[in-house]
Amino acid sequence: MKVTLNWLKDYVDCDLSADDLSHRLTMAGLEVDAMERLGEGLDSVIVARLADVQQHPDADRLTVCKVETGSVTQQVVCGAKNHKTGDLVALAQVGTVLPGNFKIKKSKIRGQESCGMLCSVSELGLADESDGIMILSSELTIGQPVFKELGLKDIMYEIGLTPNRADCLSVVGVAREVSAMVDATLQLPESVIIESDSPASEKTSVVIEDADLCPRYAARLIENVKIGPSPEWLSRRLEAVGMRSINNVVDITNFVMMELGQPLHAFDFNLLREHRIVVRRAQDGDQFTTLDGQVRTLMGSDLVICDGVGPVALAGVMGGGNSEVNDDTTAILLESAYFNPTTIRRTSKRLGLHTESSHRFERGTDVDMVPFALDRAAALIAELAEGAIANGVIDIYPEELIRKVVIITASRTGQVLGLDIDADDIRSKLNSIGLKSELLVDRRDGAVSVEIPNFRPDLEREIDLIEEVARLIGYDHIPVTMPVSTLTCQQLPAHLSLERQVRDQMVQMGYSEIINYSFFNADCLDKIRLSGDDLRRQNVQILNPLTEEQGSMRTTLVPSLLETSSRNRAYRTEDQAIFELRPVFQPENGSELPCESLRLTALLCGRRDPQGWAQSTQNADFFDMKGVVEQLLAHLRISNVKWQTEHDEVFYHPGKSCALYQGKRLLGTLGELHPEVLHNFDLGQSAILCDLDVEALVELSNDTVQFQPLSRFPDVQRDSAFLVDSDISAQQALDVLGQVKIKDLESIELFDVYAGEGVPAGKKSLAIRACYRAMDRTLTDELIQNLHGKLIKAMERELGAELR
Amino acid sequence: MGPSPISFFLNYGLAFLLGRNILWDIMKDKLSKIEEEALQAAAAVTTEVDLQQVRARYLGRKGEITAVMKGMGQLSPEERPLAGALANEVKGRLETAFTARQENLRQELMQQKLANESLDVTLPGRKQGRGYKHPITQVTEEVVAIFSALGFGVAEGPEIEKDFYNFEALNIPKDHPARDMQDTFYISEEVVLRTHTSPVQIRTMLEQEPPVRVVAPGTVYRRDSDVTHSPMFHQIEGFLVDQKVTFGDLKGILTTFITEFFGSNIDVRFRPSFFPFTEPSAEVDIQCVICGGSGCRVCGHTGWLEILGSGMIDPEVFKSVNYDPEKYSGFAFGMGIERLAMLKYGVNDLRLFFENDLRFLKQF
Repeated sequence: MKVTLNWLKDYVDCDLSADDLSHRLTMAGLEVDAMERLGEGLDSVIVARLADVQQHPDADRLTVCKVETGSVTQQVVCGAKNHKTGDLVALAQVGTVLPGNFKIKKSKIRGQESCGMLCSVSELGLADESDGIMILSSELTIGQPVFKELGLKDIMYEIGLTPNRADCLSVVGVAREVSAMVDATLQLPESVIIESDSPASEKTSVVIEDADLCPRYAARLIENVKIGPSPEWLSRRLEAVGMRSINNVVDITNFVMMELGQPLHAFDFNLLREHRIVVRRAQDGDQFTTLDGQVRTLMGSDLVICDGVGPVALAGVMGGGNSEVNDDTTAILLESAYFNPTTIRRTSKRLGLHTESSHRFERGTDVDMVPFALDRAAALIAELAEGAIANGVIDIYPEELIRKVVIITASRTGQVLGLDIDADDIRSKLNSIGLKSELLVDRRDGAVSVEIPNFRPDLEREIDLIEEVARLIGYDHIPVTMPVSTLTCQQLPAHLSLERQVRDQMVQMGYSEIINYSFFNADCLDKIRLSGDDLRRQNVQILNPLTEEQGSMRTTLVPSLLETSSRNRAYRTEDQAIFELRPVFQPENGSELPCESLRLTALLCGRRDPQGWAQSTQNADFFDMKGVVEQLLAHLRISNVKWQTEHDEVFYHPGKSCALYQGKRLLGTLGELHPEVLHNFDLGQSAILCDLDVEALVELSNDTVQFQPLSRFPDVQRDSAFLVDSDISAQQALDVLGQVKIKDLESIELFDVYAGEGVPAGKKSLAIRACYRAMDRTLTDELIQNLHGKLIKAMERELGAELR
Repeated sequence: MGPSPISFFLNYGLAFLLGRNILWDIMKDKLSKIEEEALQAAAAVTTEVDLQQVRARYLGRKGEITAVMKGMGQLSPEERPLAGALANEVKGRLETAFTARQENLRQELMQQKLANESLDVTLPGRKQGRGYKHPITQVTEEVVAIFSALGFGVAEGPEIEKDFYNFEALNIPKDHPARDMQDTFYISEEVVLRTHTSPVQIRTMLEQEPPVRVVAPGTVYRRDSDVTHSPMFHQIEGFLVDQKVTFGDLKGILTTFITEFFGSNIDVRFRPSFFPFTEPSAEVDIQCVICGGSGCRVCGHTGWLEILGSGMIDPEVFKSVNYDPEKYSGFAFGMGIERLAMLKYGVNDLRLFFENDLRFLKQF
């Protein structure tokens, strides 16, 4: 909502400075988003007369103008078409800086000297757009600053209104707030209606068929109007608040809407078939062409204004092309009505047709403003378009809307706000913004009875009034206190704490966290080779996505992680250790909400160590990532896991990947990426990925720590190297060794794997170190020999191993 | 029974025959010569290994002193203990001398080593790979920590949410203009991507009786994408419900939070605003951290930055979670994590948070 200071001053005496007013408005809840000083620094834009206009010798679209500014005549080249000799124009002299930091310099345009520029309204910051240059009224004084001559030096405030403040969608509404701030009286404009002898009721009629959607409809017939351009002041005023000047009648309806917040509509009376108005619901499937030339298909829930035959306006939203005021219009029917907010909102939303009018009606207009605004506009049309107002106003208002009465108490107000306030204070505060309140003296709790005017549909309950009181006191004046509350223990919930631990661990192990959008385009699953029947193909789709790329919710973090990696490679960050810890979304049968489950997906590529003179230059491999997962498991105290070679995940290298299980529960997968996937994402030679189910990790994690006593006796280590068939896995060997029950065996570690020279083809060597220790004695060589022999035998028996 | 006459003769008679005094003198001579030689040899060696050899030559089991002592049997019984004592004296002195020499050599060697060894300590140290938490996570954790210290718990809710929790229960009915404040992604007519973390308020209040003090960090979505809007971003919601909670308390808690987060010298202001689920509602501004309040591009030349929405929980909301609005009151607030992070770190482009350029992430 835009207002200007000069316009506000028409209704309230306010001597606050521009900045002060801006601050006060903001602190009253009418946040000033922008403030513009119209005409500031533009005194060098002066009124000039075009003494001569000639075609530019070398450019078809340009003219060369001789411009009189009183004392001198200058030459200016101009690209507009709407000027002629004798016109008064706005000349920006050399040295002027126009809005947008556009500096006017002396120049030559296609060989012709140009000293200054002839300005359009938009170039002067008076309107957002314009056709041609500004042609000024011939009464202005040549050589004087244009802004001064037109009285346009002004301050424009752009207010970011919250949706509850429908009352401030008008200059008068904002002026009412200002009047409360400066303790001045609000002066509404006065209209003098002079009616002709021609009775309106004989020429036209209004019938409301659906009064639930249109509680009030008023109209006036104005004859003998002359459609033409608006006077300067009217165009400028509209343009200053962001509207375009169209013609005098339309401009007046817009002006009154901006002034009073009541949208109006003018029909060409002669285009109304049967010269009458019927307000009713549309019929499903009705076609109707709105003013903007669009054909709209209507529904039974839309409210339309009809003439004797069919729709002539989409009530409260937009007029129709069939009854539009045009240059030949001689009589108009002026509409001022109150429509049901929800109806207007539904229609406007469904048709995607948001107008200044619908914006106000859907937020709730003031039903009492209907006749007032009608008369205001009629009087202006009579004045500015020479119209003759027909005798009598039509005002159909079958059931008067009752003004609500709300009781507010000082005790409750004090309790909510945390301050002391008395009923009299409340009363005077509320009355300052046009409410009618009085003390209920027979009540002890400081009650005030407040009659809510119809321009404040947002005030319905005591709490709404308490907010008004707080607003009018000023939030700054409410004391700062600390709550007094019962202590309760507020630990971080376990799953959040574990999620945090997983993240911390990953960061400690050198991985950086990334956050990608939760959206994806399911086509990216092709790039990770998922089969057509993979469960992750079933996703939650967004009905109204911003782009196709963001059409569904992610079912896996893998593609976006790979894209992130690829992008970083493009920025030449080749050594990467990254992870994402976020939910994925999967539709769930029988549940309205999908299943959201947390996953940890990490990627490692490039060198293992940071670069440096003393660093290893080896590339990271599978076992780096496996180590990370193992450490994570250790941190969460998850044991008894199995690494299984067989798995279904197709984005890995089939020979260099595995799945992680505890029992039958799949905890995740890990492996080198499939070369095809590397290719699809432009990922270079190799990258290792892990994809873990964090929900499972959280469930299986264990935070009990049980102390194990320490032995005070020395340990004995025995190393043995076994030759086994090369297809025997380390896990198989460790499983066999693990099966042997030896009480004093402290640990077994696989410390070397070797194949090659010295090892027969088809075999490999696995070297283990067994560590023995007893709690109560030093173990003898003999005993250890015996124990270790059991391990060796088991290997020989189960795996056909040979001791090397 | 005493010694036999034969052995008696062998012991004393032979010595007498060879001249006992001469043997004793020779032995003394030898020992002193050996001692002198040994000391010279020890002084001459330059390594510990050589010293060990010298020691073995003189003091070893097959060494020279042992060899001399083998002749001790030819001495008279009176001389023998003297000879033994003398040999031990010599051995002791040599032992001391060798030990001293060894220590001496070790010191020399160490000094030599120290003199020859040095590092270019200006070379960089060996690096450990370092990971970085996303700045959004860092800021979230910091905010949670402040509220935890103030006694707030942490709650969570789903990102895909029912219209009821996201709108209806928060006093935002269908067909209400307030819905325009938040452009919504729809999954179905009744299911949305949550547009704010406020539905967690509803879920928590439906589960818990007052007093409740909770913050709820989370991911939220709005159908809006440009330089200053991201379709996905993060919020932290907080609320407190108890008996006799006032708007003054809201000001107290939020002012405390802001001074903890931004520092104590920052000006804060509360100004009226509108949220369907709070009344009175307040927008909280801080003095612009970029220009210090004098006005700049970041604050739109107002000197103030909006960082929080807040207000007293609307009685309608209490009704939808079955709290008695006559008995309880409370306040709620919500803030955008990205905005806090941008102000805290001086990040000038929202999109950087979701591009995940490691050069960006490694700055935090």
